Amino acid sequence: MKVDNSLPLEYSTEENSLKILGFWIFLGAEIMLFATLFTAYFTLENRIGNGPSGAEIFEISPVLVETILLLTSSFVIGLGIHAMRLGNKKAMMIFFSITLLLGAGFLGFEIYEFIHYVHVGATLQTSAFTAILLTTLGTHGLHVTFGLVWGLFILIQIKKRGLTPETANKSFIFSLYWHFLDIIWIFIFSFIYLKGMM
Amino acid sequence: MKELFPLKQVMGFVFSLVLTAVALIAYFTDMSFSLGMTILLLTAFIQAGLQIVVFMHAGETNDKKSIYTNIYYGVLIALITIFGTLLVMVWDM
Repeated sequence: MKVDNSLPLEYSTEENSLKILGFWIFLGAEIMLFATLFTAYFTLENRIGNGPSGAEIFEISPVLVETILLLTSSFVIGLGIHAMRLGNKKAMMIFFSITLLLGAGFLGFEIYEFIHYVHVGATLQTSAFTAILLTTLGTHGLHVTFGLVWGLFILIQIKKRGLTPETANKSFIFSLYWHFLDIIWIFIFSFIYLKGMM
Repeated sequence: MKELFPLKQVMGFVFSLVLTAVALIAYFTDMSFSLGMTILLLTAFIQAGLQIVVFMHAGETNDKKSIYTNIYYGVLIALITIFGTLLVMVWDM
């Protein structure tokens, strides 16, 4: 394997570069996945039937906490990648752990939010609006859940094998995934919550 | 310790917090729907761009062109799908 030392570790072989490009293409498909969910949401958001509307069930404080948690976790994993490029394994693992903790905090608040929705009578079966709302939020939440498991295994591998071109590449790709989830959340925050409460 | 917090990324984080605060103006003040939506569209897309450029290092390697083409294409199709559907199903045009 040809290792190019002028590039960061995660890009250092041709296979590594191709894997990163491949993951960007996967993210392109993910953009479309969420675009179709947003399309359905915007089409159905006023069809509330006998159920509550967005303005009636959305609460600003948990949503704001979730936003800050995810935004911070996205920043922290960026610091993790920076530490990885400096070859500082310990700092990288600390940053990645903080990222996962913040992600778990986000998930906790989202679960609280879902329980709140069910309590106020906004379930998957209530109306077209609640169905697409919970589907969209749930798809994002599932991505975060998957990310937590993925990130945990990345951490275990880094601990066991250290920083190699292979583990650095995996960590970088995971960071791309995590930042992407933050981008999707920005759109959920703006165009589902804030728009709904405006 | 200081080398672990590169200025570019710290500034990126501060800027994204500022953008979130600006987006909140649309909620906390009484403004027209179209003005609020304009603010939200601006803050959301600037923030997405910030993540991609500063945190995801999209433009740092020889794959820069392919990566940006891929993102632009994805976003273009996403916007056509969303606004095309709004046009037909919601705005009744």
